[in-house]
This record gives sequence, C-alpha cells and structure tokens, in this order.
Amino acid sequence: MEHVLEVRGLVHRYGDHTALAGVDLTVESGECVALLGPNGAGKTTLVRNVIGLIEGKADLIEVAGGNPRSAETRRRLGVVQQAVGFPRSLTVGEIVGGAATRRGCPPEAASQAIAEMGLAGLEKRRAAKLSGGQQQRLQLAMGLVADPVLLVLDEPTEGLDVEARRRFWNTIRRRLDDGAGVLITTHLVEEAAAVADRVVVVDRGRVVAEGTPDELRRTLPDRRISVQTQVPVSVIRALDFVESAELRDGRTVIATTDSEQVVRTLLDLDPEATDLTVATASLEEVLVAMTHHEEVLI
Amino acid sequence: MNTRIFRTEVRDELLGIVREPTALFFSVLVPVAFFALFATMFGGDGGFGAESLATYGAFGVLSVVLINPGISLADARERGWLRVKRADGTPLGVMLSAKVTAALPYAIVTLAGITLVARLTAGPLDVPQVLRVIGVLILGALPFSLFSLAVGARFSLNAAISVLNALLIPSVILSGLWFPLEMLPTWLGDIAVYLPPYHLAQLALAQVEGGAVWGHVAYLVGTTIVGAIAAALAYRSAEV
Repeated sequence: MEHVLEVRGLVHRYGDHTALAGVDLTVESGECVALLGPNGAGKTTLVRNVIGLIEGKADLIEVAGGNPRSAETRRRLGVVQQAVGFPRSLTVGEIVGGAATRRGCPPEAASQAIAEMGLAGLEKRRAAKLSGGQQQRLQLAMGLVADPVLLVLDEPTEGLDVEARRRFWNTIRRRLDDGAGVLITTHLVEEAAAVADRVVVVDRGRVVAEGTPDELRRTLPDRRISVQTQVPVSVIRALDFVESAELRDGRTVIATTDSEQVVRTLLDLDPEATDLTVATASLEEVLVAMTHHEEVLI
Repeated sequence: MNTRIFRTEVRDELLGIVREPTALFFSVLVPVAFFALFATMFGGDGGFGAESLATYGAFGVLSVVLINPGISLADARERGWLRVKRADGTPLGVMLSAKVTAALPYAIVTLAGITLVARLTAGPLDVPQVLRVIGVLILGALPFSLFSLAVGARFSLNAAISVLNALLIPSVILSGLWFPLEMLPTWLGDIAVYLPPYHLAQLALAQVEGGAVWGHVAYLVGTTIVGAIAAALAYRSAEV
C-alpha cells in the first residue's frame, strides 16, 4: 500500500496556544481514516494543514506525493470543508465547471461529478439557493471532479438527509475501491466507524489512540449489563469483575470487565432476574473515556 | 493552464457583478450622475470638456476599482469561498488579478458615460485626446485596486465597505477631483500632492493641457509597488 498522506511531528501554534503538539498521521491508498475527538482537539487545524490552508512545523508533511502548500498538489485532493457559502451569483454548473478548470479537467468531468452526487438537472440553479444538503453535495461534487488521490472531508454529512447520506457513503466506498484514500472528520461517530478502516483519536493536539473501530471498543471495560433484579446494588458492586453498578429507571446497570462471569453469579443470586441484556461499549463511549470529556464529542 | 483558470475567474467575477448589479449603482451611476449635475450647473458655454473628463473620470475609475475588488474579496473570505479556492490550488496571482481585471469593464463603462455627458454638454471632443485620457485612467487604476484588495483581505465585508468608502470620498475631495483645489482652504489643498488620486488626475489632465508627466508616473509606480506589497502581505496573512 502506498501512502497518500504522511504527517510526521506536526506542531501548530496560534500565539501561545499549541493546537497540535507533534501529530503523526498516515492514510494509505484505498484506506478510510476517521479523525475523531472533542471540540478544540485540533482536528480542523490538522485538516487545514493537510489541505495546505495553513502551515505548521513538521518533520514531514506529504500529501499525494507532494507539499500541500503547492497548487499542483492541492489539485490532486478532493476537499469538503465546513461552513462554506457559495457565491450568490453562480450556478451549480458554473461552480463545478470552475473546479474542473482549476484542476485541468475537461468539462465532462464536471457533468460526471454532478451526476454522481445526484445534482443532475440542477446545473442552472444558483448554488446559494440550494438546500443545505444539496450545497454539501455540491461541495463534494467539486472535490470529486478530478479523481482525487486523497479525499479530505470535514463533517461531510452535516445537513444530509438519510437518502443523501446513503448516497454519500456509497460514493465514498466506490472511491475507496478505486484506490483513493479518505480522511474524514465527523460527529456521527458510529456512522464513520461503519466505513472507516482506522480511527485516529485526537485530544488536546495529540493523537491519543489509533486502531480499527473494534480495537478501540475493546480498550474499554468491555460490557454493560442491564437487568431487573432483586439483588441490591450494593451487593452487585461487591462482586468480582464489576466496575460499577447503579439503578436507572428501575433497572440495574452494571459495567463489567467479564460479563459472562457476572451474569452467571447474578443468576445464581437471583434466578428470577428478568429482562437481561449485555451490550458492548459504543465507540462514542470509548471516545468519551479516552478524551476525558463527559459532554458531546467532536 | 493558468490562462484558463484566469478566464474562469474573470468570468465568475463578471457574472457576480452582472447578476447582482445593485452594487454597481454607486460605482457607475453615481459618478456619471455627479458629472452630469456639475456639468449642467457649472459648465457654462464651454461646457465640461476634456479637462473635466480627466478629473471626474479619475473619480469614476476610483469609485469602481477602489471599491469592487476589495468588497468582492471580503465577501469571498467571509463566505468561506476563498478557503475553497485556496484548497483548490487557485494561484494567488490569478485570483487577485482576476478581481482587478473584472473591475476594468465597469470603469470603462463609467468613463464612457462621463464622456457622453461631456460630449452632450461641451460639444465635439478631440477623440485622440479623450482616448489618451481614458487610457491613462485605466492604466493608472492598478495601484488603487491593489489597495482595495489589501483592505478586502484584512477586514470583514461590512468593515471593508466602510473603510473603502472612507478612503474614496476624502481622497477624491482632497485631490481636487470634485472641486478645484483652489476652492479648498490652502492647508487642505496642500495635502493633494501627497495623494495618489491627485497624481492620476494630473497625469490624465496632462494629456489635455500638456505639462510634466514623469513625476506623476513615478508617484503612481511607487504607489503600485506599495499597493502590491500590501495586497500580497494582507492576502497571505488573511484569516480564511
């Protein structure tokens, strides 16, 4: 596999504030990497360095085989950024056509990208009059116009409805199959986990964890048991392998490192226990634990 | 390839002006209307001829090239569209020169309107003379558009509109483009020689009345260099 993105020792400071404190990151051809972390973790700064908008200090930062600050390299990227407002005066066709021109592609490439993102028939519509979801697809159409070797997508499914999101992920999967690399940030953690080959967790400017979604899930005390039982919570807390136990809405919720053992013990203590479920920690819970924030992620 | 990108950028800029023409009211219509008003009120028998075309024409050109490129850039920045262009690999020089180039047709339209009013109020004009005046005014527009870009790269859209108008109106008055400098208090009139619009107007006026040109040319070249540096620095450090 060939690296389409390689970052080594990236440091970025805004005055006294260190936004990135020595980040390493790679994306390989045909690989989807999800970049996750709480607000202010440094994700957007990392993305902006990768697409050449800003320049930190790095031992190495190579995108599609070149320097991201060079126009030539940037033309090999497909980028979806947050909070982009299109010019009031330009139509869908003119905007994607302009993107094709800037990347040295023929006009047909624009038509194909428009069709791929489900915007066919809207070519003459002013972009500013599109719905939020359509504008998001328009930005992706601009990004896809030149068969990019690396797609950098910052919250790309923001504002998309279910159907548009499905179409979006299908498009991403096709591009991955064709060998493009994808770096994605999203607050829809489980959605990203379904597609990502690898998850990189960033917190306070550092990579704090990296692995497949399953590998990351296994880093937490792995199970949570929910049950209706007469056994007092204080007794359950004292059992082996129980990390915590509490009553929630009449049910006892137990965090455990060995769910099978705890379930056996529990049923010995209370054979009449009912409504028993065992759940794996979600990736979102893993991220909360890793980044020490109790509030919402991303 | 940069030529194709440049053409596309200019087209997009022109479409922006044509499809959202309200901003042009102040840029094009106001200078022509001003000229018509002054020519009617003060023209007398001789009318407002080529001399006035030089001074009011300078005002007309400035009202376009000092305002439009900067506002367009500030708007693109505020929308995040500039971020898209940068990430797309659009070369800095191409993007900025497209904004300047797109303002020129409107400067020409403004000058054509002023010329028409001059013809109607003052009678036949010396065509080669008029063409020289227009040529000087168009070429001399460059430094002002660069300052406009510098403002557009630094300020928010609303602030850029205010700053650019705050630059335009006083400099136009203090350079003697609306009223003869003799009508201003001496201490105000003395400021004119330090202002680039004064030198642009004097250079245009020299095409009608004759007189030294190289001092004005040197001043405008110097202003262009300063403007280019200001625009490049402001753009590179612009928050996108």
